[in-house]
Amino acid sequence: MLRKLIDESAAKSPWIYHINAGSCNGCDIELVSVLTPRYDAERCGFKLTGSPRHADIVVVSGPITVQTRDRVVRTLSQVPEPKVVVALGSCPRSGNVFKGSYSIDGPLDKYCHVDVSVAGCTPKPEAIIAGLAKAAEILKEKRKEMH
Amino acid sequence: MNIVLIILKWLFHILVFPGFLFTLCAALLLAGIDRKLVARMQNRVGPPLLQPAYDLLKLFGKEIIIPRQANKKAFLSAPAVGLASLLVTSLLLPFSASFVAVSGVADVIVVLYLLTIPAVAIIVGAASSASPFAGVGLSREMVAVMAYELPLTIVLVTVCRKAGLMMDESGMTFSLATVMQYQAEHGAMITKLSMIPAALAMLFIIPCEVGAHPFDIAEAETEICEGTLAEYSGLPLAFYELAHYVKMFILTSLFCVLFLGGFTTGVVVVDLILRLIFCVVVTFLCITVPHAVCARFKVEQVFKFYWTWVLGLALVSLLLVWLGL
Repeated sequence: MLRKLIDESAAKSPWIYHINAGSCNGCDIELVSVLTPRYDAERCGFKLTGSPRHADIVVVSGPITVQTRDRVVRTLSQVPEPKVVVALGSCPRSGNVFKGSYSIDGPLDKYCHVDVSVAGCTPKPEAIIAGLAKAAEILKEKRKEMH
Repeated sequence: MNIVLIILKWLFHILVFPGFLFTLCAALLLAGIDRKLVARMQNRVGPPLLQPAYDLLKLFGKEIIIPRQANKKAFLSAPAVGLASLLVTSLLLPFSASFVAVSGVADVIVVLYLLTIPAVAIIVGAASSASPFAGVGLSREMVAVMAYELPLTIVLVTVCRKAGLMMDESGMTFSLATVMQYQAEHGAMITKLSMIPAALAMLFIIPCEVGAHPFDIAEAETEICEGTLAEYSGLPLAFYELAHYVKMFILTSLFCVLFLGGFTTGVVVVDLILRLIFCVVVTFLCITVPHAVCARFKVEQVFKFYWTWVLGLALVSLLLVWLGL
């Protein structure tokens, strides 16, 4: 009974932690706009946290530069299970316009399993909300697999 | 037979009403209403009313990570101690002049001490978590405690003096039941002119004590990664969140006891509903409105604000009461 309640709650209260892995700040601004009164992602329980230890969904934006690579890996390993990784924008999935640069070491799925990837440069807030909702569903599935 | 009944009554008080179960439900409901109201004030739809309950249940199902350098015992026991002391406080608050689970001659002093323990628990937990962010957070938490503790004490002394002048030969009472009795006979404290500054001061003290938004310097998630809670995850974090909600309920409830005590009927159920309505109103005034309107204060701004304006209000009230007004 309690276990079922916990599983149900996993999808209803996904807390987001955002990592900027060398992003141009475009996706970061769009992610923040998702939480503003206009789009109000809090109605689905989404909340931006300040610590990776509190997070359920980790949103990574940017093409994984050489400088941020180790930090991204370290931060991802600090998130308690169950967790979901969301790649935000085209950069973490392909490198986008930075592809081939000496200073980037992407894509993100070289370092961790990417559950949801939201394409676009930058993705629309509607697309981000759709991606996060998908991530919340995956979170629930992962929670169910834990026991 | 009699002893069994007394023990059962005690267990009922501690576990169901007004202790564990009732306090948890009321606190979760209050937190949900608060979040919904903030959202509506910002022209948002807002999370569902049960969102705090979902948050807690989700945290129950998360992995607990203990940092390698942390002091494991202190790290894990601090949240439980903080929550437990708050639940004990809930037993001491009377619902009307006649109904109170635990009553003593000096429960005001006990409440004052018990309300300090959650803050101390946060400080101990943060200190044992071996995180620099928690270190910054705990120093800020200490500043906050120092800022609100003095005005809070003076407000309590003022209320005790006001009630004591009428109800006790010594001119001072430290019993919450007597404070309620006084208000039942002479009208609520808030209707007395000399008590209005103290009530205002108490309204300012509540958000800082709770750690609500404009005064959440210790948990500033945008500056210091949730500060004191930076290393907590899973169940211990759920305990801290729960303590946060319960504190909100306990303090607004304490405000109702101190200043809005006269509006009781004697029927427990009616008093209970009245109390909950008052709690929602007080929460709206002192937690929801500042949350929706203000940006976070700086550390020294909080300290200055409490030691000038709030302390000033509390002292004015104390002076007026001592002069017999």
